[in-house]
Amino acid sequence: MTEIYPIGGGKGGVGKSFLAASLGALIAKQGHNVVVIDLDLGASNLHTLLGVKRPKRGLNRYLDKTMRGLESVAIPTMIQGLFFISSLHCSMEIANLLHAHKLKIITAIQKLPFDYILLDLGTGTNFNTLDFFLTSKEGILIGTPEPTSIENFFRFINAVYFRILKQTLKRSEFHSAVKDAVTEMSGATAGTHDILKIVSKYQPDKETYLKNKLSEFKFKLIINQFRKNMDSTLGNKIETVCNRHFHSDFQFVGNIRYDEQIHDAVYSKALYVHKYPHTQSSNDLKKIAEKITRNQRLTSLPKELS
Amino acid sequence: MKYFDGLNYYEILKIPEKTSFLEIKQAYRDAVSIYGEDSLVTYSLFSTDEREKILKIIEEAFLTLIDGNKRAAYDKMLVDSGQSDTTFISDQSQSEPVFHPGKAANDDPLAADATQTNQTDEEKQLSDEILSKSSVSGNDLKKLREALGVEIHEIHSLTRISVSVLNAIEENRLESLPPDVYLRNFLKLFAEVLQIDPMKTVDGYFKHISIVKNTD
Repeated sequence: MTEIYPIGGGKGGVGKSFLAASLGALIAKQGHNVVVIDLDLGASNLHTLLGVKRPKRGLNRYLDKTMRGLESVAIPTMIQGLFFISSLHCSMEIANLLHAHKLKIITAIQKLPFDYILLDLGTGTNFNTLDFFLTSKEGILIGTPEPTSIENFFRFINAVYFRILKQTLKRSEFHSAVKDAVTEMSGATAGTHDILKIVSKYQPDKETYLKNKLSEFKFKLIINQFRKNMDSTLGNKIETVCNRHFHSDFQFVGNIRYDEQIHDAVYSKALYVHKYPHTQSSNDLKKIAEKITRNQRLTSLPKELS
Repeated sequence: MKYFDGLNYYEILKIPEKTSFLEIKQAYRDAVSIYGEDSLVTYSLFSTDEREKILKIIEEAFLTLIDGNKRAAYDKMLVDSGQSDTTFISDQSQSEPVFHPGKAANDDPLAADATQTNQTDEEKQLSDEILSKSSVSGNDLKKLREALGVEIHEIHSLTRISVSVLNAIEENRLESLPPDVYLRNFLKLFAEVLQIDPMKTVDGYFKHISIVKNTD
């Protein structure tokens, strides 16, 4: 059973790529087969955090059909069991990804033969980022304890919801009145609430269906660059608030403490959790990795029994 | 965005139905720290209007549950409307207005958990510090009460101990204290509201009194 975890968070510099590289390495060290995919198209730098100097092949070779199958462009890393798919060489033109290419990538990701697939996404909430985020039914949101970053958590969740609703409303069973009303709304100002209101007006029987659609997607929350003397319950509070006021299930999985050496590792182009395996931050990451893999074992257990 | 649709006051404050006075106060404080105007968590999530609505509901929940009579009426309403079963009402019968943390720990692990998580580290540290001393002075009790944000009149309305006796206890005014047999019981009730070990508190306070008497 493959688990796909897209890693998003809206804001730049909060540690998405760092988390993707660290979790990839730690989950691989648990004995799983893992691939991390750089989908920060146009601004790739995951390879540096993984300690890979110049990836020779990547997504570009798959898209221009010089290599068959997405798994064939995955390259090994210094960690046994950890593989990497780069998007370094497809930077310029692919930042404006063709719709067909995007679908091709998403479908191929879902078929990859790995235990865990981690997707490193770009900054912001543009629809390509959101569609990659929706490759799975469960995503990771990472942020820092700053107000701006927390604000972006909520903005990202709302953007994900908006995308899910828009995709769902395209289907034939919805009234044209609903579709027109939604098309008229601009993504920046309209929210989930407004769409649900329109649906409850024109097709009240569909409202619960849509809410269920939203609740199908789960979020894991991680706080990075956590410093001493900060409110250690901040993550739990955000979890409480999200579970109460959004439709999905939210789980706070932990804080990652701030460490100067993380920057040192990036400068020396080394994989932090590999170079400094016993720091507080590495321990925090280990606990998070364990929570994520334990989660899968627990949820897949009933299926094995039946 | 969802609000508090369909949640009862206990759910809004995230507390179990069997909850002590002190836990309600702490839960209220927690809720305000999440939904208050300058909260790091929600300042960007709600508009001023939404926040005001939310805070109003939280306050309503708090003011209802903190008031013995209003709470009893509310509990009855929950039971009558089928939103709750009767099991928790009997535990808050009139003859026994004060919650017993020790008792709850035995038959309701959830309630015990809530006690631990609601009390902050500093509060826990302070109560541990006070009980670790061989004697407990009225001043110690006052310090703990104030740290927990509990007013004298609130202790009075929960325990029915008169305000003048409570003041005498806190100020170590031996001449104004009631006879030992009453004092023992009052201290026990006082300790229960502050959620510290009643026996240790009683023993410590009596020890303190005897020290004061001997030095006179």
